[in-house]
Amino acid sequence: MARVELQHVSKSFGSTEVVHDVSLSIEEGEFAVFVGPSGCGKSTLLRMIAGLEETSEGDVLIGDRNVTDDEPADRGVAMVFQSYALYPHMSVADNMSFGLRMTHRPKPEIAEKVAKAAKILRLEDYLQRKPAQLSGGQRQRVAIGRAIVRDPQVFLFDEPLSNLDAELRVQMRVELSKLHKMLGNTMIYVTHDQTEALTMADRIVVLRGGHVEQVGAPIDLYQDPDNAFVAGFIGSPRMNFLTATVQPGGKLAAGGIEVDNPTRVALEPGRVLQLGVRPEHLDESNGYGLDASVEFVEMLGSTSYVHATLPTGETVIAERRAVQPRSGERATLRFAPTSVRLFAEDGARIR
Amino acid sequence: MAGAGKRQRLALRIAAIPMALLGVSCLYPIFFAVNNSLKTRHDYLLDRFGLVVNPTLDNFVQAWTRSHLDQYFLNSVIATIGAVILLTVVSSLAGFALAALRFPYRRFLFVVILSSLMIPVQVVLVPYMRTMVALSLINTHVGLILSYTAFFLPFSVYMMTSFYSGLPRELIEAAKIDGAKLLQVWWHVMVPLGMPALVTLGIINTLNCWNDVLIALLTMQKNRTLMVGISALKGEFSDQIPLFTAGIVIAAAPIVILYVIFQRRIVSGIAVGAVKG
Repeated sequence: MARVELQHVSKSFGSTEVVHDVSLSIEEGEFAVFVGPSGCGKSTLLRMIAGLEETSEGDVLIGDRNVTDDEPADRGVAMVFQSYALYPHMSVADNMSFGLRMTHRPKPEIAEKVAKAAKILRLEDYLQRKPAQLSGGQRQRVAIGRAIVRDPQVFLFDEPLSNLDAELRVQMRVELSKLHKMLGNTMIYVTHDQTEALTMADRIVVLRGGHVEQVGAPIDLYQDPDNAFVAGFIGSPRMNFLTATVQPGGKLAAGGIEVDNPTRVALEPGRVLQLGVRPEHLDESNGYGLDASVEFVEMLGSTSYVHATLPTGETVIAERRAVQPRSGERATLRFAPTSVRLFAEDGARIR
Repeated sequence: MAGAGKRQRLALRIAAIPMALLGVSCLYPIFFAVNNSLKTRHDYLLDRFGLVVNPTLDNFVQAWTRSHLDQYFLNSVIATIGAVILLTVVSSLAGFALAALRFPYRRFLFVVILSSLMIPVQVVLVPYMRTMVALSLINTHVGLILSYTAFFLPFSVYMMTSFYSGLPRELIEAAKIDGAKLLQVWWHVMVPLGMPALVTLGIINTLNCWNDVLIALLTMQKNRTLMVGISALKGEFSDQIPLFTAGIVIAAAPIVILYVIFQRRIVSGIAVGAVKG
């Protein structure tokens, strides 16, 4: 177990900088998730911690030791890849023990560690099989097993669930969270799936274009985003953004209605801002009411997503649990004043 | 539907005719050699195209003993095995490096190796001979093994590089994180995974080394290899066709046997390089 610290790290490929001056510290035993759209540098950042990519600038510290120039094997990390990267010619047992065999550990110790990992991951019956004879979920568990036997200070996961089908993904998500509780190691997990981030993380790091947009607990990112990007990225379906113009009295005109300024900041009349309301907050029985015409409704069983157009021409998505309007109807989408988030022209949050 | 099937079958049969002719043209010389190697000189002169009547192994015994084919055979075996082992090890190491590692001038180096594929042996014969003489490698097995390795290495490296380029990078990265040193990655991951390509390459190189005349003729002037020996038989025993054909059969047999055993590998292996290049 160890904490991981990134100090002003940057990464360039040739003349293109893909990670820009990132500073970050991940506490001992924490489950941190790097999340962001593809190409945001999250995998590169993880690979820099692993030592698979050189760090162009800055320092990487694991357990207060500067490992910036160390080989991957000397960093005390283990990594689980998206493609599993199991050795196809080796049995499950050999795959798991590979790292220990390479470092010439005594045989009884290897056997014991493999047996222990196999027990944790319920792979005991498959130890003699080759990866090709396993299902996707089992392969994933072998890949995790290979990481566990090495007893690393830090576990690194690079989109490990992307290749699994939806049902298995949900199951493995729970198993990984349990595993983290049981082992207590520091884990860093990369994903582009905000649901994985919200459900598993102690702390989420949202990245975009090689910059850290916000770091925080899942609930903080959801309720109190620092900017419009984080607000839009975290939460599904994404937050509705309406153009809001500041009126002479200080109120905001948005979506055909007037809304009180939700912040304590005095706003200059005439400013054009963005007003954000989450779909799940457009299901109130009182509060502000947006007059909308329903375009179509996505039925999801317990809930449904209503796609609607406002008098301003903007489209919004509202999540409805009880009363479900039909397409073509008019509906009033109500939201509480407290669920309004306001963002400046450049996307920064106004609190 | 049935009509289309019939027409297709007819087209296949017509296409089979040139194929069959090609097959006959390949097989007849082998038949001719085997058939005549079993005849006495006298029988051959009486009827050179007829089937053997009183088969005898005399020609084989004579070729093996009197014409030193036993010694030549041994030379060929030593040179071929030595060169094939060296080629396999070097090309798989080089392929690993060129496909998976990052180092300066990697692409440039690969292009240089590729371009040396385009240079025919004949063009470099003079500098090659001068080098061999200067290094006192003439008439040595080591010299021949090194020569074969040098001449057949570019293709081997090219093939292993394209094969290894097709393997997922993560396998090497996983091994690195697991604490494997570069040579351990090579031995435990790249060699086993490269087996299909390495076996094919081994067979192709065996064919090339075994069948070579030119390089062996220059390098082993006193101590001949089998192919050089057989070529020489032609001059020495031009009236002894049965003896000559017996020598040919001895020389061809190992390769034919190898081909029959590894037929599938040879065909699929040639495709390996072709598709992933």
